[in-house]
Amino acid sequence: MTFTDFSPLLTILFFPGGLFLMGVGLLYEWLDHKLVARLQNRIGPRWFQPFADVVKLLAKEEIVPAIVNPYLFVGLPLVGLAGALTAALYVPLMGLPPAFNFPGDLIVTLYLLSLLTLSLGLAGWNTSSRFSLIGATRALTQLFAYEAPFLLALLGPALVARSWQVSEIVSRNAGQWLIVTQPIGFVVALIGLMGKLELPPFDAPEAETEIVAGALTEYSGRGLALFHLGKAVELVVGLTLVAALYLGGIGNPLEFALKTLGLLIIMAGFQSVLTRLRIDQTVGLWWRYGALLVLLQWVIWIVWKGLSL
Amino acid sequence: MTTESLLQQAESLLATMSRGSTRPETNRLDVVIESSGLVPAVSALKNARWGYLTALTGLDLGVEAGVVEALYHFCSDAAVTTLRVRLPRIGGSVPSIYQLIPAVGFYERELAEMYGVTVTGMPDDSRLFLPDDWPVGVYPLLKDFDPQSAQPVKVPPPPRGSSTGERFIIPIGPQHPALKEPGHFEFTVDGEIVTAARMRLGYVHRGIEKAVEQRNWIQSLYLLERVCGICSHTHSVAYCLGVEQLAQVEVPPRAQAIRELIAGLERIHSHLLWLGVAAHEAGFDTLFMYSWRDRETVMDLLETVSGNRVNYSANILGGVKIDITAEFAEAIRRGIDYLEERSRHYLDIVTTDTMFLQRTRGIGAMTREQAEHFGVLGPLARASGILRDVRVEAPYGAYTRFPISAVTAQAGDLEARFVVRLKELFVTCNAIRTILDNLPPGELAVKVPRRIPAGETISRVEAPRGELFYFIRSTGGDKPDRVKVRTPSLCNWTSVLHQAIGCQLADVPLLLAGMDPCFSCNDR
Amino acid sequence: MTTDPNYPWQTVFDKLKTWARVNSPWAIHFNSGSCNGCDIEILATLTPRYDIERFGVKLQGSPRHADVLICTGPVTRQARERLLRTYEQMPEPKFVVAVGSCAISGGVFQGCYNVVGHIDEVLPVNAYIPGCPPRPEAIIDGVVKLLESIKGK
Repeated sequence: MTFTDFSPLLTILFFPGGLFLMGVGLLYEWLDHKLVARLQNRIGPRWFQPFADVVKLLAKEEIVPAIVNPYLFVGLPLVGLAGALTAALYVPLMGLPPAFNFPGDLIVTLYLLSLLTLSLGLAGWNTSSRFSLIGATRALTQLFAYEAPFLLALLGPALVARSWQVSEIVSRNAGQWLIVTQPIGFVVALIGLMGKLELPPFDAPEAETEIVAGALTEYSGRGLALFHLGKAVELVVGLTLVAALYLGGIGNPLEFALKTLGLLIIMAGFQSVLTRLRIDQTVGLWWRYGALLVLLQWVIWIVWKGLSL
Repeated sequence: MTTESLLQQAESLLATMSRGSTRPETNRLDVVIESSGLVPAVSALKNARWGYLTALTGLDLGVEAGVVEALYHFCSDAAVTTLRVRLPRIGGSVPSIYQLIPAVGFYERELAEMYGVTVTGMPDDSRLFLPDDWPVGVYPLLKDFDPQSAQPVKVPPPPRGSSTGERFIIPIGPQHPALKEPGHFEFTVDGEIVTAARMRLGYVHRGIEKAVEQRNWIQSLYLLERVCGICSHTHSVAYCLGVEQLAQVEVPPRAQAIRELIAGLERIHSHLLWLGVAAHEAGFDTLFMYSWRDRETVMDLLETVSGNRVNYSANILGGVKIDITAEFAEAIRRGIDYLEERSRHYLDIVTTDTMFLQRTRGIGAMTREQAEHFGVLGPLARASGILRDVRVEAPYGAYTRFPISAVTAQAGDLEARFVVRLKELFVTCNAIRTILDNLPPGELAVKVPRRIPAGETISRVEAPRGELFYFIRSTGGDKPDRVKVRTPSLCNWTSVLHQAIGCQLADVPLLLAGMDPCFSCNDR
Repeated sequence: MTTDPNYPWQTVFDKLKTWARVNSPWAIHFNSGSCNGCDIEILATLTPRYDIERFGVKLQGSPRHADVLICTGPVTRQARERLLRTYEQMPEPKFVVAVGSCAISGGVFQGCYNVVGHIDEVLPVNAYIPGCPPRPEAIIDGVVKLLESIKGK
């Protein structure tokens, strides 16, 4: 008996999806900013900062540039956010069993998560401001760079559990900290997540000093707020996924909080000590090291499995 | 070689072109030449490797005289040779020497738009400082310039660059997060590779050189201090040195030492500021935050000593108006010790952090020959192995008593520029300690007359960004007749725009930051 | 933003909007001819000692994302049109802060041939922060005063 049986609509709109998830997402975003600020010797924003930002943006004028396709301009942020929210339904948020599941939902989740980046890319292309165009190109280039290694890294645990279903992987690997047996996969997954979220050092698609705000340069008000929310949701979903697959699953809300926050602290550390990579360096890093290392991990695991049989 | 023998050498090199030469000051040689003799004269100096072209001053001798002069100043150590080309006020023309010295491009454009001198053969004759809506045929630095005649004219909107075809132009500025000051760049890119670079200055052009002519000698000091908010002290030192030279007054040694001390503190603040901005451009915000946190230490010291954080107003004509008490000295010593330790840490980061080195090592490398060819100055030149530092080549003020050693590096890339600037912090810290230990006693200032005797002088000062050049002319009145300011940033642009071609777009902000550009210095 | 007494939730919405606006002023910085003394002090407000992010102020790169336009320097002829364009690109509601003596009155650059004048001859200014340059504390104070004035509306 899960919460879902009660009312699917409620699940999607309020808990654990929808509003609740956005709230948690913004809170995590604040934590991330706060941690980075503390590491940079600053005090950092107040806890309600992301909430105020989003409310303010929603209440602001939205300027739709004259040369864009207005439907795409308005619709893409919605698609991105919807993708991130839907992805949340397949992961064990707060230690609750996923709201929905079916065999192979791991792959679907990952692609739903990519939807945000895709709509970001399309939004940038649609805006046809020069900064947006370059930002979009970079966002999509980066997508192709981290997507495969990230996927491979998350398939490691799936391989162990012999299932493509998130809930199944979690229950079969319960209590098994795969971070110990597959450390490379874990590192690639975590760094892949940072790439997905375009956090420093992978923030070339929105490198302020080169291309202003990348694909989002022309967005104001509502569109910007929705992309912002989408990022926040993706942060939580991504952290949950990595924690569930690599840190021995998530059984209850406390475990959820501890494990995801632990990951967030590591990510904040990376963000503050690393220099932004150029897009060519990012791509090089992922394909030259990320993908190969994960494959190596697989080979080691398969050989070890074969020997122990 | 001594200054005297350098000048003799220059005189003999220029003998065939010369239409008369004078020695207005012990370190200066003025050679009058015809405009047809300009190219041979410059080639002669260049082929003999006699110094470098430091500035090109335009000079209007007034409506009655009917003469405009173009002064080409060449420096070799402390010796300055000036080629004076006398031209009619209307319709004067000089040949371009861009083919010999590329750095002259900006100077020639300035001469043309400010004085109406035609420079034949200029590769680029577009507006440099004056706005797009400035009327044709109105030249602001001529003595009979009437502001009413400069009413805005209608200009056709610039053709909007399109993204069709192969040319995809990235505009940077005038409002852009990479630039804290407005300038406009256009980088044509092919994918992520820059294939062409253009620049438009003038967004911060206020017309200070003209305004100085309408203010008296003392007011001009405060105006010139506001040419640039980062190196304000250097500007006022350069101006004071020049005026004191013209007025034939000897500044007390204590005042000279305090000037050098403040200049040292200013250099520390400027270099730490630069370190932070450059790190920010590279996407390394933590280093930006840390270096600016430590920069507050030196800002506090400057505030303690002068009462202001940015425009210290330490100088007055004839000396300084602030004293360094024992208490201040102690505070400065403590601050310097802390900063030195922190700088060591930053030097360690920029030379060992692999991620950061990926963005700096080998990027924008400029060989010694290239650096000489483009006439770069300051830390940029020193990073390419050229010892170009006025404090060493031609010590002024207290630098004769408290000499300084120049820091150079060989690689010429961005990393070398970081290293040179950070190492300069150590040298500066040591110099400040030496001054504090040996602060000469005595007066802080001497009296300078309200009217400055007629004459011309040149003062060169090493600003944090390189050599700052002032040409000051007095006709004996209570206002300057001409103050020419040539700032180091203007000399360095040519090289950086050239280097940007072939670079990754992502490296461009850091490359621009690497020269530590200062638009308000540039544009004046 | 008028409150209709017939719809009580309107009042709540308005309060929420004002709260968000006061707590999340994203700024954009435009230098229209300053000596960059003010600009480095504005930059300094971001750094550890002053850390303006505490108040939710973020320096944005794109005018589309900004609520507050922070102007420094007198307005030069070449920068005037760009300043206007930047202001026009900002979405409503927007505010302008003039930082430094030059932005307020033209300062030492009054009467220079290439200077059009001070900021409020070009844009409607909501807050003035005097000083040459104002200290970072003064800039923060000016921004906070601006926010107070929004609250009152």
